Amino acid sequence: MYKARHAWSFLLPAGILLTTFTLLPALAALGISFTNYNVFQPVEWVGLDNFKTAFQDEEFWSALRNTFYFWVLVTPALVVLPVFLAILVNQNLRAIKLYRLIYYFPALVSVVITAILWNWLFASDGIFNYLLSLVGVNPVDWLTSRKFVMPSLAMVTIWQGLGYYMLFYLAGLQSVPTDLYEAAELDGANFWQKHRHITFPMLKPIIFFTAVISTMSAFKEFTLMLTMTEGGPIGASKTVVYMVFEKAFKELEMGYASAISFILFIIILILTLLNKRTLDQET
Amino acid sequence: MKKLKRLSILLLVFSLLLVTACSNKESASGDGEGTKKKDVEIKFWTIALSPTFDDYINGLIDQFEKENPGVTVVWEDLPFDTVEQKTLTAAASGKLADVMNLNTDYLKKLAAVGAVMDLTKKAADVKDDYFDGVWDAGNLGDKTYALPWYVTTGGMLYNKELLEKAGFNHPPATEKEAWEMTEVLYDKLGVYGSVPNEIHKYLPQNGVEIVSKDLKKAAINTPEALKIFKEFKARFDKGLIPKELLLGQAKTNEWYAQGKVAWWLTGPQLFRQVKDLSPEVYEKSDAAPAMGGSSGFLHMAIMNIAVSAKTKSPEEAVKFAKFVTNAESQLAFSKIVAILPSVKEAAADEYFTQGENSDDPAEKGKFYAAKQLEIGKNIFPPVENISEINKAVNEEFQKVLLENKDPQKALDDAEKRINDLLK
Repeated sequence: MYKARHAWSFLLPAGILLTTFTLLPALAALGISFTNYNVFQPVEWVGLDNFKTAFQDEEFWSALRNTFYFWVLVTPALVVLPVFLAILVNQNLRAIKLYRLIYYFPALVSVVITAILWNWLFASDGIFNYLLSLVGVNPVDWLTSRKFVMPSLAMVTIWQGLGYYMLFYLAGLQSVPTDLYEAAELDGANFWQKHRHITFPMLKPIIFFTAVISTMSAFKEFTLMLTMTEGGPIGASKTVVYMVFEKAFKELEMGYASAISFILFIIILILTLLNKRTLDQET
Repeated sequence: MKKLKRLSILLLVFSLLLVTACSNKESASGDGEGTKKKDVEIKFWTIALSPTFDDYINGLIDQFEKENPGVTVVWEDLPFDTVEQKTLTAAASGKLADVMNLNTDYLKKLAAVGAVMDLTKKAADVKDDYFDGVWDAGNLGDKTYALPWYVTTGGMLYNKELLEKAGFNHPPATEKEAWEMTEVLYDKLGVYGSVPNEIHKYLPQNGVEIVSKDLKKAAINTPEALKIFKEFKARFDKGLIPKELLLGQAKTNEWYAQGKVAWWLTGPQLFRQVKDLSPEVYEKSDAAPAMGGSSGFLHMAIMNIAVSAKTKSPEEAVKFAKFVTNAESQLAFSKIVAILPSVKEAAADEYFTQGENSDDPAEKGKFYAAKQLEIGKNIFPPVENISEINKAVNEEFQKVLLENKDPQKALDDAEKRINDLLK
């Protein structure tokens, strides 16, 4: 009883904040999604109309396709690449902390600054096209063509996320008992075998965590599109969250925007559950 | 499990109460309308004027308060990017300002949902003070929802050195000449000239209306529009139109400051941005009048002053809106920044007849801009979804240029999208 009271006293402040600023607004948004709420006029109940509109709206399907495409480009890279980076910076090398800091540094840069920097790199006469010209490759329309805009934005997201996810893996790696590696070495395991049979299985919970978090952030990505492409060219980088922003704040369709948010919530929920199920089955 | 269920129901009920509480507060705040109180406080919002114009706005407020004892004006300046969000959140919590500075697009949105006051009768006495083409900016349908404040008719900042290198000794005066010069500039120097990144403004200036006169259907699908789309496609295929500027991913002022664009069509109040970015390029620059289209008028960017529909002090709020936008206030404002007044009397001041021979492009630009006030007008039709309509037109235009969409098909699709938005 005493322990329970203690636990509650620790949980309560966070619980209150979470309820006030996340749970209740989310529930309010659910309520709003069944109305034609536009902030200024009296609210009218419209039932499932907003959801029906979304499923018939080509703009929504296009935004959903863009969002899935972005997720496919970003999440596998952010789940796999940081593992290798973490293994690299987990070595006993001189100035290893400096290397860790350098890899983590992009995560500290604000998204807007990142957008400005990468806009310069991606410019038609920017550094990337200059480097390509040195090897005789024609300039690429990084942000101005349908074909390249999403991969380009994914590249920026991966660059910014690598160091961040590396930290989780690094923490995981450092908690792997060293005697496991020693035993493996005695059995004659090489570098790759040690990681395959010890590191990766031990990191599974972190891989799950990273997959969930990077999936959520890929589905929620919005600032980069707003600052770098404004959803263009011709809607090619408009994601679902960008559409929510436009509908809610530019077009005052709060009900419709809330309905779209909830569809996105359901999608993320399903993906997270699938992810968890896959992991549970493997362990 | 039962506990969890109960908790979920409780949370759901609470959230619904929260939503209804917000809307109740909104309607409750309007109860005091029409009642004149002794001590009245008016909240006034402007867009991106602080800190540069603190002295001017504070001076204006002091004078109004002196002339209207018992009335206090509380001024708040909003950053440009946050106006829409701030307006919405404030409206949701019943804290919308009494008097607001709004751009033309957003004003129409707010007017359509009844957030701003109908001023058709309340401001009828001052209507004739303003330029006709400017007054329309505050309209939605046949009603007026705002008073015009400061305006810009546009102008041209051009790089003398680049033009000389390409063999020209004067800036372009017409669209036709501009594109002929653009071709030479691109072929000889690899730099650009005209940048058509806002076709929704270009079309009306060149005789193609986007929405019909009765505001009920699209008017864009015409042979003239088809000709314009085809002309631009040919120019784009020649490489004369850079993709980044077309899509708005790069800024023309920055490209001009880097010497990648030979002229920049914008209001003279913005010329100084080039001075900040590249004083050397500004040194080589001169100002010229804005190029008008074949219709004979120019698009004018207009800032408006609206009054909240739920203000508790409508009389004082309207009085303050009129005060901010009257000839005297606007003239004083125009003298500290290169903007133009929307009131005829202020624009007739001798201050605007000077500057023709100035060495400073911004001063000279102001002279030309003032001269063009008579042909300037608001070109946006007074319909609620004007932002979405403009976006649809631009997207279809971009599809023609970037994705080789058939121009006629693009116009058909634009027409359909506009008609859907007008329903």
